[in-house]
Amino acid sequence: MSEAKSPAISFNNLTLGYDRHPAVHHISGEVVRGDLLALVGPNGAGKSTLLKGIIGQLKPLSGSLSLDGLKSSDIAYLPQQIDIDRSFPITVFDAVAMGLWHDIGAWHGFDRARSLAVQEALDTLGLQDLGDRSVGALSGGQFQRVLFARLLLQDAAIILLDEPFRAVDTKTVEDLLRLIGLWHAEGRTVIAALHDLDQVRAHFHKTLLLAREVVAWGPTKQVLTAKNLAKSRQLTEAWDEQAQVCERGEAASERISA
Amino acid sequence: MNRRLFFVAAAAFAAMLGVSAGVQAAEPMKVSASFSILGDMVKQIGGDRVEVFTFVGPNGDAHVYEPTPADAKELSESKILFINGLGLEGWMTRLEKSSGFKGTVVTATKGITPRKMVEEEKTITDPHAWQDLGNGKIYVANIRDALIAADSDGKATYEANAQKFLHGIAQMEMTVKQAVAKLPPERRKIITTHDAFGYFGAAYGIEFIAPEGVSTESEASAKDVAKIITQIKKEKIPAVFLENVTDSRLLEQISRETGAKIGGTLFSDALSPPDGPAGTYLDMFRNNIETMSAALSS
Amino acid sequence: MIHAITDPFVEFAFMRRALVGCFALSLGAPPVGVFLVLRRLSLMGDAMSHAILPGAAIGFLVAGLSVPAMSLGGFIAGIAVVVLAGIVTRSTMLREDASLAAFYLVSLALGVLIVSVKGSSIDLLHVLFGTVLALDDAALILIAGVATLTMLTLAIIYRPLVLECFDPSFLSSVSRLSTPTHFLFLVLVVLNLVGGFQALGTLMVVGIMLLPAITARFWAQDISNMIVVAVAAAFAASLIGLLVSYYANLPSGPAIILTAGVGYLASMLIGVQGGLLWKLMPRRHLEA
Repeated sequence: MSEAKSPAISFNNLTLGYDRHPAVHHISGEVVRGDLLALVGPNGAGKSTLLKGIIGQLKPLSGSLSLDGLKSSDIAYLPQQIDIDRSFPITVFDAVAMGLWHDIGAWHGFDRARSLAVQEALDTLGLQDLGDRSVGALSGGQFQRVLFARLLLQDAAIILLDEPFRAVDTKTVEDLLRLIGLWHAEGRTVIAALHDLDQVRAHFHKTLLLAREVVAWGPTKQVLTAKNLAKSRQLTEAWDEQAQVCERGEAASERISA
Repeated sequence: MNRRLFFVAAAAFAAMLGVSAGVQAAEPMKVSASFSILGDMVKQIGGDRVEVFTFVGPNGDAHVYEPTPADAKELSESKILFINGLGLEGWMTRLEKSSGFKGTVVTATKGITPRKMVEEEKTITDPHAWQDLGNGKIYVANIRDALIAADSDGKATYEANAQKFLHGIAQMEMTVKQAVAKLPPERRKIITTHDAFGYFGAAYGIEFIAPEGVSTESEASAKDVAKIITQIKKEKIPAVFLENVTDSRLLEQISRETGAKIGGTLFSDALSPPDGPAGTYLDMFRNNIETMSAALSS
Repeated sequence: MIHAITDPFVEFAFMRRALVGCFALSLGAPPVGVFLVLRRLSLMGDAMSHAILPGAAIGFLVAGLSVPAMSLGGFIAGIAVVVLAGIVTRSTMLREDASLAAFYLVSLALGVLIVSVKGSSIDLLHVLFGTVLALDDAALILIAGVATLTMLTLAIIYRPLVLECFDPSFLSSVSRLSTPTHFLFLVLVVLNLVGGFQALGTLMVVGIMLLPAITARFWAQDISNMIVVAVAAAFAASLIGLLVSYYANLPSGPAIILTAGVGYLASMLIGVQGGLLWKLMPRRHLEA
């Protein structure tokens, strides 16, 4: 008998998109507390869109999304890195220390305990000697570690990662996957949008295969079948300027419950 | 019978001539003047026979004026354009070209001996010739002759007006010279922001010192300002004067630091509005000499 | 030698006031400039100088050459442009530079229209925007007030501002301060410009805001160090520029800005952070 865990995030016929064009259609389902969920799908499948919807940066076009009893400060989100100004003159220590925002906000000072916490985070990610280095001088892998160290300090119940291993060296990927495993062991809910299906099969016990709508959602082995993958490639269409208003109700797709 | 017809015809013809002459007299001749001082002079001499349009109006800066399309239209309808010349109206050539002006251009300063002045190591011609009433007489002559040439019917009017004006100028000359004579020689020094009184100073014996160059465009250097402050303090110059077209703040700064009084407003490049203290050319001189005397004699 | 430096200031009150005014401006404007440079908004200062024109012109029409009236008018116009541009940026696909450009051009045209309708041919720009050698009490109080307000505000919004420049996504995911911080920063820009224009002319203010900040990039790696270097560079440019204006008989505003420019060029060559000379000299690399 499996213990019924409380859902952390519930999607109820959720449609998200931009300018009335849906990027994801009629998503329904639950992310259970403590899940280690991989979010996969072809390019344009809507993975980033779904994560943005969870963090609240996108308002639903229809349907709803609820974070059962969780505040926005309980979610940590690592988007794809386009927005970050790598040439900005900030040290590794200061960049990581921003992770304590929920604790210190805009104005509180840094006491000894907090400085130690930052140093610990740096140590965990192998950045212990790089504290005073400017972030602009770091390699891709090192910079990713900085972002993960910041995530670590955020101490969030739900962690959302959007393509966290893009352009990152293998050693760093291994270390970061180990950290993710650690978070899962601590009972945190982790959702990661990923491209590398081998990584997913090796480290994530649950997968949501997305192709603008839910293709399959459940244990990884059952989701990542050849049939499902072929179907997902079919469903990811181009943006249609002549699209009709959508009449569909529930998504007519396979769902395997956990 | 033939004689009667002849007289009736002659009378009719004479009446027609009289009517046509009257019709012509009713239409004033349209002329333009570049700035308010010239405009006033033209109006004084032309009287009702002319309609004067002035480009740079009261309190305006003739050195840096930006003509508008309305200006071009007025110019194209004018028979005569009166300009000062001597480099005052740098903007005029463009306006003439763009308006397609076909009338006569009259330079009021023709025949004047111009002064030279040194501005930032460049020697340029000082355009403010009207500040010497002696030159003013030459302006009047030039304007009168130009009006007569364009409108020979008005010869008598123009000559009479000009005569009256010249008389007024001669009287003002005496007033100014007497006022200056009353001032002790060592107090005949004035600081003012705009180097526009070169001709006045040369003609009537007052020394004008300015912190900026001739035109209103150049910016002061610390050295220039320091020199003037030093000079005021050393020679105990009693007054600084505001001038109606440039920034007064620099002058106020100098006054604060030297203790020299701010002596009122002098009019150099433009008249005041008609209800103000310097609405005409002669009023301008009256205002200026009275203001100067008051400050320098106390 | 020392006397050559101190004499002009000892002897002349206007030199002292000019120095005080420049120093006050050097405290408020360069830190704002550092953030502008880092956010790639360097040309915004020049754009804003045109944006405030209609407001200052209306102030002049209503109350003449009054520092409070023109400052208030200019400030309102500047803020209006900033707010409108911000709204457009956030709700359409236009980026900040395009929406700002659109509004400041409209604003400038409006300003020119207002000025020409009134008919006065006095060079309004020349009249509205002063010179460092003619600072009266009102102007000094204005600059000092703006500098104080700037420093206080920067102290308060420092952390969210840094984060907003570095990783705006993160800031908006953990806090709602993103938009107010951005807005407050732009208010500071407008304040420094408006206050400075009144007293010192457009060239000086934008120059003192940006040149020391750009120079600081070649000396400091950390943002707080950059701010310190920028302020120091501005102080130096003010002092040296005023002395040059005094001894070499050059106009004061341009003298100060050109000095700042020379400082920039020198830093580009010999600055510790990425100076060209260092790049040309091969040096042995470090351990790690």
